Parts: sequence; C-alpha cells; structure tokens
Amino acid sequence: MKYEQVLFKNRQDGRPATLEEYRASGGYQALSDALQKNYTRDDLIKMLKESGLKGRGGAGFPTWRKWTFLRADAPHPRYIGANTDEMEPGTFKDRTLVNIDPHLVIEGITLAGYANKAQKAFYFIRPTYEIDAQLVEREAQAARDAGLLGNNILGSDFSFDIIVHRSAGRYICGEATAMVNAIMGNRAHPQKTVHMTETGLWAKPTIVNNAETMACIPLIVRNGGKWFKNLARTEDGDGNRLYCISGKVNKPGCYELPAGIPFREILEEVAEGMLPGSELKAFIPGGASTTFLPAKYIDVPMDTQGLKDIGHRLGTGAIMVFDQKTCIVGATLNLIEYFARESCGFCTPCREGLPYIRDLLGRIERGEGKEEYITMLREMGHLMNHAYCAFAPGAAEPLLGMLQYFEDEVREHISQRQCPFEGMDRPSRQLWYPPEE
Amino acid sequence: MPKLTIDNREIEVPEGTNVLEAAEKLGIMIPRFCYHPALGSIGACRVCAVMFLEGPVKGLEISCMTAAKDGMVVSTTHPEAVEFRRYVIEWLMLNHPLDCPVCDEGGHCLLQDTTVSGGHSIRRYLGPKRTYHNQDLGLFVMHEMNRCIQCWRCRRFYQDFAGYRDLGAMGIGNRTYFGRFQDGPLESPFAGNLIDVCPTGVYVDKPSRYKGRRWNFERGPSLCIHCSLGCNLVGSARYREMVRLEARLHEAVNGYFICDRGRYGFYYANHADRPRTARLRDQEVPWDEALAAAADGLKRISEAHGPSAVACLGSPRNSLEAQGALKLYCRTHGWRDPQFFWDPGLERKVRTAVARLDERLAVSLRGLETADFILALGADPINEAPMLALALRQAARQGGRIVVLDPRPVFLSCDFTHLALAPGGLEAGLGALVKGALTPEQIAGLPEPARKFFDALPDQYPGDPNLAEPLGTLAQDLQHSKNPVVVCGADIVRETTPAFAADAALLLQAAGKQAGLFYLLPGANAFGAGLILAPESPEAAAQRPAARWPWGAAGLGEPLGPGQPADNAEAILEAIDQGEIKALVLVENDPLWESYDEERVAWALDKLELLVVLDYLPSPTARRAHVLLPTLPLFERTPAVFVNQEGRAQTAPPVLLGGMPLSQMSPELHPPRDYLNYVPGGEPLTPAEIFRELTQAATRLQTMGQVNLWDWLARGNPVFSRLAALDAHPEGLRLLPEASSQSDFAASLQPPETPPAGQVELLLVDWTFGTEELAAYSDILQEAEALPELALHPQDAEKSGLRDGNRAALHLPKGSFAVKVKVTAAMAPGVAVLPRHRRLDWRKLSKMPVYLTPEHIDKVQG
Repeated sequence: MKYEQVLFKNRQDGRPATLEEYRASGGYQALSDALQKNYTRDDLIKMLKESGLKGRGGAGFPTWRKWTFLRADAPHPRYIGANTDEMEPGTFKDRTLVNIDPHLVIEGITLAGYANKAQKAFYFIRPTYEIDAQLVEREAQAARDAGLLGNNILGSDFSFDIIVHRSAGRYICGEATAMVNAIMGNRAHPQKTVHMTETGLWAKPTIVNNAETMACIPLIVRNGGKWFKNLARTEDGDGNRLYCISGKVNKPGCYELPAGIPFREILEEVAEGMLPGSELKAFIPGGASTTFLPAKYIDVPMDTQGLKDIGHRLGTGAIMVFDQKTCIVGATLNLIEYFARESCGFCTPCREGLPYIRDLLGRIERGEGKEEYITMLREMGHLMNHAYCAFAPGAAEPLLGMLQYFEDEVREHISQRQCPFEGMDRPSRQLWYPPEE
Repeated sequence: MPKLTIDNREIEVPEGTNVLEAAEKLGIMIPRFCYHPALGSIGACRVCAVMFLEGPVKGLEISCMTAAKDGMVVSTTHPEAVEFRRYVIEWLMLNHPLDCPVCDEGGHCLLQDTTVSGGHSIRRYLGPKRTYHNQDLGLFVMHEMNRCIQCWRCRRFYQDFAGYRDLGAMGIGNRTYFGRFQDGPLESPFAGNLIDVCPTGVYVDKPSRYKGRRWNFERGPSLCIHCSLGCNLVGSARYREMVRLEARLHEAVNGYFICDRGRYGFYYANHADRPRTARLRDQEVPWDEALAAAADGLKRISEAHGPSAVACLGSPRNSLEAQGALKLYCRTHGWRDPQFFWDPGLERKVRTAVARLDERLAVSLRGLETADFILALGADPINEAPMLALALRQAARQGGRIVVLDPRPVFLSCDFTHLALAPGGLEAGLGALVKGALTPEQIAGLPEPARKFFDALPDQYPGDPNLAEPLGTLAQDLQHSKNPVVVCGADIVRETTPAFAADAALLLQAAGKQAGLFYLLPGANAFGAGLILAPESPEAAAQRPAARWPWGAAGLGEPLGPGQPADNAEAILEAIDQGEIKALVLVENDPLWESYDEERVAWALDKLELLVVLDYLPSPTARRAHVLLPTLPLFERTPAVFVNQEGRAQTAPPVLLGGMPLSQMSPELHPPRDYLNYVPGGEPLTPAEIFRELTQAATRLQTMGQVNLWDWLARGNPVFSRLAALDAHPEGLRLLPEASSQSDFAASLQPPETPPAGQVELLLVDWTFGTEELAAYSDILQEAEALPELALHPQDAEKSGLRDGNRAALHLPKGSFAVKVKVTAAMAPGVAVLPRHRRLDWRKLSKMPVYLTPEHIDKVQG
C-alpha cells in the first residue's frame, strides 16, 4: 500500500491484532506516557487542537472543542461514550477498525477518559455487530488483565473501565443524545435542550465520540498533533481517515487514506476503477445522509473543507459509486425508504414528511409522477431543515442532490410515464409500505 | 425582563418565558399541538414555527422552544412561517382519518381547528393511510389510535407528569404507537386527563361517547366535591342530565388536571332512584303537603317537648349556603345549632384544623408543588385526595423531598420516604424529625412559647432505635429546606394531631423557614362545617338578648340570642335513646353511610317521632324518612359555595336547570314528543329554600324578614364578611384569619401509645374508589373500583395464620363479615387497615379506636 498506514498499521491477515502485537508496535505507550508524565487535560486538548482532528461520526466537529465544553469543575462521575452504532448505509469503517486493531480503540477511549477525568465508558455498539461486541469485551478483559484498564491503570491512581453496551439498533442512536437515552433505557430520542457535557448519562457530564475518533487519540498523543495533521493531503485536512467505498467499483472496501485525497484517486487507484462496462455517473461522498454528486466533481478533495467548498458535507467518508445504468430516482427512493423507516417518530417533518417524500418518489419511479411533485419534493426537502434534529436534513440530502444535479432524469420519468431505466439490467421496484399489523 | 416585538406589538415578559407564551400574552394564538402549559415545550410537532426577523435568533424557528430575549422581532404571519406551518398541518393530516363526523372530539378538536385555520382543505397525498389496533383501556378512556398525530402529550402526562408507566410510546417512525403494552384498564387514577390533554380524538370520554357535540351541551364551570381539595371542573349536560366533566384550570388549586374520582363520580346526579318528589313515608305527595307535614310536626314536637326535642344535622357535602341557612333555621326556631359530623372525634379534629389554619400557615395545592420538603402526617394522598398525590409528584420532580409518616401501605408515583408509624406514634415521629432539624442558632433564636414547645419534643423516636437513623437523615434534609410544608390528614390521626401539626409548622416558621400547613379534611365542605360549628365571638353573643320562644309578635326577622352550641353526635344519639330528642332533621346527611355503628343509628332513627330528610341521594336514610324533601345536587339550578381544606371559598355556578332526565322519562333514547308546560321532576329545592318554606309553613304566612346570610354569619365570625366579594373573585377567597385566635404552641406532645399486647388497632380508611359517599352512587365507578382488602403487616398476619390472598372473617363488636386479606410489609405493624368500602358491611363498631386480637381475624378455609 502506497499510503502510510497508521490506524491499520497492525493489520493481520484474517484476524484482529493481539494485545502483544499492538504493544510491540508502540501501543499503550501514549497511555503510559500520559500517566507517567502527568499530562494535564489542557496538554491533551492542545495536542488534539494541533492535530486538527474532527469527529469521524459524520458531523465533523473539532474534537478538542467538544472536550473544552466540559467544565473543569464539572461533577463526577463523568462518562465517556464511544459510538459504534454505525447505521449509516454505506458505512462500515468502525467495524473494520475494531476488527483490525481493537486495542487502538480501547486505548483511545481510555485516554479520552484520562483527559476528561471520567470513571466509566460505554462502548455503544449495534446488535448486528454481536461478534464485534464480543471481540471488544474479550480484548478489554485482556487489557484489564494487563493492568491497562480497570482499577489503578499501570499502577497510577487513575481507574477507568469500559462497558460494552449492545443497543437495540436504531439509526438515530448515532446521534449522541439519542445514544445516551438508549443507554439509560429510554426511547432513543435526540434531545436538543441538554448539553451532554453537563447533563448527559444519568444527568452527569458525558463526552461522546465516534470509535474512529477515539482511535486517532493514541496516535496523536504518541506522535504529536503536528505529525498527525501532516498525514493529510490538504492544508485543512486532519490526518488519515477511513474511507469506505462501495458500488460499481473493482475493489470496494474500507481504506485508510490521507484526508483530502481527491475522489478520482480513491476511485481510480485505490478501488482500481469502475467495473467493466460501467461509467461513473454519480457518487455519494459520505454515507446515505449526504448528497449525490455528478461525475464532474471527480476531482473534489475528500475532506471536510473540500466538500464544504462545493456546498456539501463529507459525512462519514462512506463513498457510494453509481454507474450509468443506475436510476437516481430509484436510488434516492431506496435511501428515503431507509430513512422513513428509521425515523424515531418524534417530530412531524421527519415522521410524516419522509413517508410523504417516499410516496411521491415511488409514484415518479413507477411512472405515475406529475410535474408538481418536483416542486413539492423540493419544498419538503428544504423544510426538513426545520425538523428537530439533523436526521431529517440528512435524509433530504440525497433528495436535494437528485433535484440539483439530476432533475432532467426526474422529468424524464414523468414525461415518459415510466422509469427510463426500465428493462435495463436491474430489478424493478415495488413501492414499500410498512406491513399491516 | 426581556422586551420583544411580536407582530409589531411590544411586550415585556418574565425571564424564561418562551415566544409562544409571550405571543399568547398579546392574545396571539400561535398554533400548537405538543406544547401544553403544564407539560412544557418539547418541540416535536413543529407547528408553532414563527419567523424571527431581528435579534439573537434569526430565521424560521420553533416558538415554544425559543426563550424570549431582548430585541427579538418576531412575525407569526411571515409567508415562510405560514408556508411551513401549512406543510406541518398537511403532514399531520396524511394519516389522520377524516372521521370528524363520527368523532366525539369534533367541534372542540385542536387539530380540526388548526387544519381549518391553516387553510388545509385539499388532500394531495394519495397513499394509503396508516391504521392501528385500538386498545381497550378500561371504562373511562376510549382509544382511537388512527387519529393520533404523535404530539406526545399523553405519554408526557401519563409518565412524566403523573408518574405511571403502563401507557407509553412504542414503535418508531410513522408507526409510533401510544398505548399500553397490551389491552387493559389504565392503572392511573388520573387517566381521564388523557382525554383533556389529547389535541384530537385519540382519547375520548368513553361513558359520554356519542352523547352530543360541545354546542349541544349546557356547559358551565363547576367544582368537584368528592374530596376536600375543591378542584375546578367544567360540566356538560344535555337533556336534563349531566353528561361529562372536564378539568378547569385553577392556578392555585388543581392546575389543569383532575382525578378520575372527580371526573366520573358525578353520576349520582343522574341516578335513576334520585328522589325528585316529596314523600311522606312511602307516599309521594304534593310538595306543600310534605312541607306542611314537616313544619307542623317539628313545631308540634318543639312546642310540646321544648326546643331541645329537635336536632338538626347538616353534612360536609352541604354547600356553605345550606350549612349557614341550617344554622339560621335552627336559631329562628330556638333549636340547638346544627351538627355536621357523626363521628365526634372527627368533628373535634375538623374544628381544630379550622381553628388553627390561618393566613400565616395556609398553602394552596399548587403552592405545595414548590415546597422543597413535604412532611405528610397521617395522610394517604392517592386514596384520600388523589390530586394531592399529583401535586406531591410535581414537588418531587422539582427536587422536593417527600416524607410520609403513616401506618398504611402508602403508594405514591414518585420518590418518597415512608415511615410506617402507628397512628399513636405519628406525633412523636414528627416531633423527633422537627427537633433534629433545627440548628443551635435557630434554637437559640426561638421566642419563648416556641422554645417551650421545642424543648418538649423528643430527641428521637421513643421505643424504636431502628428509626433513629432514617429520622436523623430526614432531619438533616429538613434542616436544609427553605419552604417545608406539613401535610396533616384528619382521618386516622389522633384528635390532638392537627393542633400538633400546626405547632410544628409554626416552629419551623419561628426557625426562619417559610413553612406551611396543609390539612386534608373529610368532605368537600368540611371546612365550612367547621366554620359554622366554631364558637361565635363572645362580643357578638353578648350583644344579643336572650332567645325568644315561641316567635314574637315582631314576626320572623333576624333570630336573637346567642343560640346554643351544637351537641356532638354521641350526645344526640344518647338524647334520642333517652327520648329527649324526638325529631331529627337531616340535611344531605346519611348516618347509615357515615356512622361506624349502623345498628345504633338504625335503632335511633326508628325511635324518632319525626325524621325529616332533605337529600338528593337515594340513601337508605332517605328511604326511612317520615318526610323526604328532595334537594338539588350542585350542578343544578342555583350556585353553591364550598370551602376547601385550605379555607378557600369557591362558587360552583349551576350547569343545568335540573328536572327529570329525558332518558328516564321516555322508554327510548329519543327525546319524547310530549309537550308540557312545566319541567317534570323540577320540584327539588336547595336546603336554604326549603328552610324558608318550612318556616313560612310553620308560622302560617309570616314571611321571614330579609336576612343576608353572609352578613348574619359574619356577626358571629368576621371571616364570613369576605363572601360578599366572592363574585368578583372567580379564583375564590380564603376564609381565614390573619392569625389564629387559638394560642400558638399550646399543643402538647402525646407520647406514642402502645396498643394492648398482641392486639392490632383497626383503622378505617378511604380508598380512591369505593369509599366516598357520592362517588359510590356512580355506576361506572362501582364497576371500576377494586375489591376491598384488609391490609395486615406480616407479623400480625402470622399471628392469625393468614397469608396474602387468604380470606378472613373479621369479628367486630357488633358482627362479623368476610374480607380478603392483603399482607404487606409496607405498613406499620400493630394495625389492621380496612377500607370503608361500599361492598363491605363494616359498620359494626361501637366506638373508636378498636383493638383486635388475632382471634378477631379468623382465617376462612377454602
């Protein structure tokens, strides 16, 4: 691999790296340094600030700033949440990461606990990742046995532990406040009125980061923030990050690449190009809650700023590639179906608006569309911004991308009174409705 | 105080007000579904979005979630906001069935109103509508889940506000479902409020379903008289019968909610057997004939045997007008003042409570919600006054500490500490707690009488070292509290306890706390009865010449003389036994319900020469009456004043005119086609009107001079003079003195009693359903009530060889009956708790308290 591997450095063939292998590669050095040299919270926040590390869960919020929201005199106990809900379609990076090097994540969580003087962490994982949950439990025990976790870590007075929490599995649990509700056994609703760093889990200060974000922390502490930042390809990039690429490419998969790498390079060199007979028509840059981009954006740098410059979001860096045989209306309908099903049901635009959008898209796809549906879809897509949380605006992203870049294709559906891709080598679609009770 | 501009009008609102509420102050009704003043803002429905033009927030935002800030310029009519709201309404209507014509909410439906005002009239969505299974939620609430717009109000009321868990949200997305895990009656006694909070027709009133649209009803404000709290209601009536009750907002009493006993207890007013015509024994007679019979009989007995041969009893369910007029009636005729209670001990407790409650101490029900430490003494809120339990939960939600000292297995739907002390130990428990709560500086600063009271308090609860630690911890919390409130029941406590509770609250005040006192009283107008019973000011009495008898030549005017204070019930029964009392006038009073000694009461009633009963209930006593004069329930024809347990006099205006319900006149439900020029069944009068007519009949046309009842009562007790202003105060007026005339800190602590060895004290208690007199005539509550159980502590149950679920024969002094046994450690040992349940034949006691040996509680085999 021509790209420097830091997160996947210990990648083994067909199995996760062991504690010994991780330690041999310099693992837990960061934790031991932090404990021995008594790094303060400010030291660690400074390192993170230097690294430019932004949250890998999709929102791209600077990690150091999230940590500074925790008041120095905040009460105890304090909690850490490490999120591997990973329900974004197209995204499978956390699972890959934890299967390659579980201790990198465990050390990262422990460092986050040390920095924020927390007592306990919840490793939040979706129920379909059962074997991964067992893996983390097993490796956490190995760390405990080695004195790297639990009471008096490495002989210091710092005690900290990780509890693996299997959720009931909902997309919205990727949202930190909803995740906290889920851990407490409440309905997984997001809460806009609470500040996690003040009233998170059981109304105590809580810091929630994505598992990949956690994994970057030991690397930054060990090698310095500057080093990490310089791994990136662009000025504003933040080190290496995990990109998942799926769709009509020769080598789909999860790759560790420098932030800011152009999409063309990922597609052509890393994923080894489009499948034979396929041409690039569109791609989604960062998971189902980001927009469709047409082929003309093939040179966009894949980092937060790069996407922002063209008016879009990077999300989780989960790239989905579509070829010329893909009906974008059908693809959007597929994604909207997912979001309409996953809506938590709390607020009206998301709960009722998404099924409405699904209905209209389904009609267009079946050739029953009308001209005015385009206006309605565009209006509703924009109004999703006034939903309670970021779920509905995210769900509207592919819809708005479709209308922005592929409106002609939508009109073709309406004027031809059928899907123009009908009969091509692809399954026809039925409109999905929830099963009757 | 932030000042903002909404729709070009400026308004200044208190800090913490949200923009929706600020607009409401200007009379601008921003549409809302999820926002509810009592449940707060959650930002779920999004229909209250408005445009923020200037200030700290910009753009389209949700008004209920945005705190009003200085400099905000808000437009509720901005095209963008209107367009978004139009979409929200369209979204909400996607799955909402267009069944308004057959929906009971139609006509007073927030969703219907908002849909019409939002201009959504054409349905664009062509997809199928989502359907749900409707659950059977019991007798009170109809569930029509298809109509749901997911505003979350029901769940927030049921789980967050009321603290019950059996109704909630299930499923996600647009399959989100509100209901129970499986069909079954709702467990909360506040479930009826779901009907009020639901903005559309998901929860509708089951008993009154299809009885009419809102505009078909005669509607009017009313009061609840099923306990002493005086919750506010709106009544609906149609075809001369009460159809439905809903909660009416009272900021100081019940807030937005009521309990199900209050909501569904009113069916006594529609009872098919309700007396509607005058009767002489079993004969229905013309009204005048019955009046003449009563008046002549009373006059004859009074003249033949002296005025002491006539006794009058009102009741705590009388209106204040009835109670006052009864007193005036007695005075006019030279009889003793009326009594209101059949239990002399209870009467003394009520009199003490009324005498001790003053403006320094009184706390309203809503005031209780802001208390940071509530000490309930001998009170079982959910059973005695359900809305008190809801208020305690609100106090707990705001961080208040709730402590209940009570022998019963008290349940509250919030965190609370229950110290299960026997009734004889309640004062010692409270005393020890209060004593431990004062700092040395506070003790040093106590003025003399308070200091003496304080010194007499025990340092710890005597006799039970296990209680030292919990009491110590609680005392610490009480020490840190700023506004503690002592809640004191009047039912199972000793006679000295109400006064002791008042002194304990005064002591906390003397220690610098904003302490309050909250009594629970037996009956909606027990406080009024206590005021009427209270001794009159000696000056007023001295100014009057002696009584004249028979009526003087001047005719009937204001009665003269100081009058003779009421006898207690024991003395009245004794005098009937001795043949001294020969005539009894019972005003809305049923001793066969009230008294714990049925045999003695029945014997006494039989011995009377004349029993005159005025009542609207088909009570067993009314059936024994020699003369029965029907009266009106509070919903009908005339306003009535009731004084709640905090001394608040409130008026219940009439909801309907009265008369025989059409459904009881015609065989079918259809309105009858007979045209009459009178209202059938319209004979009943209020007690006050009946007394006037009786007096007229007795004096043969001498009309009584115009006596202003409140003025006349105020002569003896100045608090009554406030009633003149009552009409101007819809929130009610407190009939309390600034400071009680009784001396503070006069109560002396009663040491804990130890019951005779090996015996348990029988406590007769109230239950939410099944023990309250009026509600017992409500057929729907009869169906809803739980079966009675005798509660025993495991220690005591073991002595009788009883286990949970066994049946026991309870041998009381005057008879035996069988009852199911509930064994629970959540109560005090040494007591047996028995509900005064409608279904139990429990009135077999000769005196209180009663102690039972294990042999008195016999296991019934099989």
